[in-house]
Amino acid sequence: MFSFLAKFQHKQEMRESKDEILIGEIVRAMTRAGNIPIGFRASDDWQSVVFKPVNDQVLNVIVLMLDRKTGDNAIQQAIFGSKAVITMQCELKNYLVDPDDLIRMYKTDLKNIFKMPLLGEVKLDHQLNSILATKKLIIEIDNYILKGEQSVNNLTNLLTTNITELRGKLAPYKKT
Amino acid sequence: MSEDLEQVFVSLVKDSWKKYNEDIYNSRVDDMLVGAVIYSNVELGYSLIDITSDGVYHHLRFEHLPTKQRVIFELRNLTEDLLSAKVLGRRARVVIGYGCQVQNFGTLWQTLKAEVKSSFVDSTEPGVITCDADVSSGYIYAQVPLLFDLDQYFGGNYQVNYELLQHHINATVHSLAKYLQGRLTA
Repeated sequence: MFSFLAKFQHKQEMRESKDEILIGEIVRAMTRAGNIPIGFRASDDWQSVVFKPVNDQVLNVIVLMLDRKTGDNAIQQAIFGSKAVITMQCELKNYLVDPDDLIRMYKTDLKNIFKMPLLGEVKLDHQLNSILATKKLIIEIDNYILKGEQSVNNLTNLLTTNITELRGKLAPYKKT
Repeated sequence: MSEDLEQVFVSLVKDSWKKYNEDIYNSRVDDMLVGAVIYSNVELGYSLIDITSDGVYHHLRFEHLPTKQRVIFELRNLTEDLLSAKVLGRRARVVIGYGCQVQNFGTLWQTLKAEVKSSFVDSTEPGVITCDADVSSGYIYAQVPLLFDLDQYFGGNYQVNYELLQHHINATVHSLAKYLQGRLTA
């Protein structure tokens, strides 16, 4: 294993690759829904994929981050399963903004200060001409992989439901 | 008069965004290739089992779980800046490998010898097939570097020709599999 193969992570057991398998399934489900992957960052237990919703008039990009928390070894897998935190973030971009817009947006930012994305609440954040809606969920990876059509449907439902919710929160801020 | 000037201003903003997005699109083409490769392979029944990316080099490994056959990719955008992309066309260096599991130690040993020979070959040039072995998992691989013309897969406005990409991956994997089987049975 001199050169080329040395660049891969070489996880020894399939158990260690469950988060990567889920990323593969997420890419398939999102692409089928018309969201093209345009950005990847990946390390050992953390992956992030940026999608471009090509025909969406509201959303500029959708970012999905997967952070695996348990299940790296056999004992954790047996006790806790394969738990991960999936962060879903949708971005709306207005192409022309002025300082008055930013002042108005402070009001919604203040309302959002105490919202907890990890508890399933949607947090809104204004940044210059971007508005971000974020939601975090704790998931069991095994529910979304390696179970044929059932896991594909579970994953598609999870993504569609939550992205639709985030989109709904952002839509009122879209300028024509 | 005032409305006319405002219209001109709006068109200048729109034009600026168009140019800005053109730059973004060009810098994202390699990631689009990563996404297209993942989508194509998952649709073909492979599972993604490794992904490593530092933003420049992208490494992907897939396994067809029922047969344990593996396909590996190293992807790198060669024309990240817009100037070279416009002059040369969008290009990527893609190394594709096919791997299969072998239980026979003698076969692995023979492949290791081929691997040592492979390390003396200039495998930066396209079309040079080399062999590699991962003793810990019992896999042997044949891999080949290629230069892909990305414009044939990616049109404007994020349109992707998955069919053509799948066809090209299939053709390469088929040839590598045949080569590797030939070596194993020789």
